[in-house]
Amino acid sequence: MNLTESALGLAVGVAALAALAVAALPGRWRPACAGAGTALAGAAGVAAGVAALTGRPFSLSLPGLLPLSGLEFGADRLSGFFIAVTGAVAVPAGVYATGYLRHSGTSRSACAFLPLFAASMLLVPAAAWAVTLLACWELMALTSLLQVLAEHRRRPEVAEAGRWYAVMTHLGFACILAALMLAGGGSLLAVRHLPAGLAGTVFVLALAGFGSKAGIVPLHAWLPRAHPEAPSHVSALMSAAMVNLGVYGIIRTGFGLLGGGARWWWLLVLALGAVSAVYGILQAAMSSDLKRLLGYSTTENMGLVLVGLGAAGLFAGTGHRVLAGLALTAALLHVAGHAAFKTLLFLSAGAVAQRAGTRDLDALGGLRGGMPATTAAFAWGALAASALPPGTAFVSEWLLLQALIHGLPGGGTAAAVVLPTAVAAVALTAGLSAATFVKAFGTGFLARPRSDGAARAAEAPGSMLAGMALAGAACAVLALVPGAVLPALARAAAMTAGPAVAGLVTLRLSGAAGELSPLLLALAVLAVTLVAAGWLRVLPGRRARRAARLWDCGAGPLTARMEYTATAFAEPLQRVFDDVLAPETGIDVTHLDEARYLVAAVEYRRRVPDRVERRLYQPALAAVRAWGEAGRRLAPGSVHRYLGYGFYAVVALLIVLTVTR
Amino acid sequence: MLNLWRKIRAHGRVAEPPVGGRGYPLVPGLRGSVQVRHVDAGSCGGCEVEIGAAFGPVYDAERYGARLVASPRHADALLVTGVVTRNMSEPLRRTYDAVPAPKLVVAVGDCARDCGVFKGAYGVAGAVGDVLPVDAEVAGCPPRPEAIVAAVRGLTGR
Ligand code: SF4
Repeated sequence: MNLTESALGLAVGVAALAALAVAALPGRWRPACAGAGTALAGAAGVAAGVAALTGRPFSLSLPGLLPLSGLEFGADRLSGFFIAVTGAVAVPAGVYATGYLRHSGTSRSACAFLPLFAASMLLVPAAAWAVTLLACWELMALTSLLQVLAEHRRRPEVAEAGRWYAVMTHLGFACILAALMLAGGGSLLAVRHLPAGLAGTVFVLALAGFGSKAGIVPLHAWLPRAHPEAPSHVSALMSAAMVNLGVYGIIRTGFGLLGGGARWWWLLVLALGAVSAVYGILQAAMSSDLKRLLGYSTTENMGLVLVGLGAAGLFAGTGHRVLAGLALTAALLHVAGHAAFKTLLFLSAGAVAQRAGTRDLDALGGLRGGMPATTAAFAWGALAASALPPGTAFVSEWLLLQALIHGLPGGGTAAAVVLPTAVAAVALTAGLSAATFVKAFGTGFLARPRSDGAARAAEAPGSMLAGMALAGAACAVLALVPGAVLPALARAAAMTAGPAVAGLVTLRLSGAAGELSPLLLALAVLAVTLVAAGWLRVLPGRRARRAARLWDCGAGPLTARMEYTATAFAEPLQRVFDDVLAPETGIDVTHLDEARYLVAAVEYRRRVPDRVERRLYQPALAAVRAWGEAGRRLAPGSVHRYLGYGFYAVVALLIVLTVTR
Repeated sequence: MLNLWRKIRAHGRVAEPPVGGRGYPLVPGLRGSVQVRHVDAGSCGGCEVEIGAAFGPVYDAERYGARLVASPRHADALLVTGVVTRNMSEPLRRTYDAVPAPKLVVAVGDCARDCGVFKGAYGVAGAVGDVLPVDAEVAGCPPRPEAIVAAVRGLTGR
């Protein structure tokens, strides 16, 4: 029994014990127990993941546990990476949950299933056989669904979000089931040689199933609904850890199980990734619900990861294994970075939602005074998410762009068309994400409070801040010294492609020209900021100074109504992307009865609905409904008729059997 | 590029010196260039029309080094028109506060000088001189653009 195996066993054991303890304990102890269980399971998961990532694979067979097939576990470096990331998200989320759950008074079942949810996510990448994967996947889906529904008594929207999530996740499950059965079931760690057509079908089904979990457009509809409505530590677990498992599934089936495959697969992945990235961040930029914004940003980041995967597949197909390794390493680093900053962002957004009583950016503002630590946490997360140095996403997106640009010469016609477009999409996404997070931070946390709740908001308790601090530290490590984790990631990627990046302080691309030193860059930014601040302090010091009132046009004090709202901030972007977003606006002018020339009131409405949802899902839902209505006529409630149906069905079956025999 | 910078440094400000024929500028620190903020403290609108004419293409007060700006924070001088109404007296005081020193106040029109036709009317707090220290005055109801230009030249000294 090696370290990986025992640590993973420990994680599952701790989670199960914590769940049992929560079920038995009185209400006062439940939050602490559930949170501690989750955090400890996460810590054990990190240990297991790191052990597997640094080259201690394991395999474990439990034949008696599940009838017919048993359970088979095993982990290589790639699984180890995803186990480690999941565990690393679970630790801060668990610590945070001890404080959060105490103040939101969640039910016994919601507390009890929290550690189980974390443990099931740790098991998914460790599943070595198809049936084991499906079992763990379903366990993860069910426990996460229970978590999403945790606050359904207080908010009716939660039930609707839960319905969307339940349906979408099970459709995804059906796709994965079909894909794995078509591929012949059995071990996931061995390459299967299938005929091209069948392999293509398997891949597309797996892409649909796993992609829906990763929130890829057009299968993302559940994500911006379910992630905001869940309690915030669950949002963090789902948005930072669970979506990654969709990526894991795509890598495992595409590179591992099917061993590479045709070029069109990866072009499809790349195109879906680019569309998701741009569409996700556009919707995030339009969103004025803080957590919904973060949910859409998850779609964006998973899109970027898929761009990396698609590029890796393309390069591997044309024999450029070094570049393929670079693209895959960039994708994995982005997975890790996204996990870190999205955990931080969701945890701080949760503190805001709990303390200010609203997630609406148009009603927030002025939190800097009441919640300084949370504000700092969100600011650091926003910087990490916006692909600007010294942020976390900057390093991985830089690597991704390097891979795409260097891949141009050797890729053939398709690559010559697709890669520049992908570069443009990544660049556009980076710019829009900066605007989005400026909006979220600027209107949500700075300026004056726009509502009583925001004005009264007090700082979150220590345990919640500790959770944010852990996630923030992870962001800092990945942003400043990515060289510490990159070799391990490169080796995990090399399992399927080739080694790519080297260097601890300065990252050097092997096989392509390119160098970056995030630490030195951060120091330079810091130095310039300090010099500028010092200069501004010294410069006016020599002249006489006079304190004057803030210029407010001479009128009374400035009010919160005069501030830029989130909606107003996003309006120029909405105009630019009018054709894509198709916003709905309406103006109603009411006149006075006495004279048509006098206006009594003007009402302006604006909504930016999710266009994919409107065009794709609503017709499908309408069709399903129509079908159901039509089916109703067959079941009018008469017992005789039902007996008749049974009789005719048996007769028809007999006839069919006689004829075909 | 460096050469250009060096030239800019060596030459400093290149403008015609204040000629002094119209008297030196009221504040030596302004050196022939005055940024002007116009404040309507309760005018009938007539003085505004004339100020517009004075800074328009016909009279072109800008050629004497004066320029209308959009905020008191950018200004060296206030051009105040009209009687100071009760509602505008506090904003006027705040506007004056917002102008960085050294600063000048010009009362334009008879209303601004001594309440003009509105003297004793309801809602009038007084002339500009009752609220702020006035440095120059322009008479007339409304004053002619030439008079406004002359006052502006008094400020810039050009
Ligand atoms: S001085 Fe004459 S033109 Fe100017 S504001 Fe007074 S009444 Fe109007």
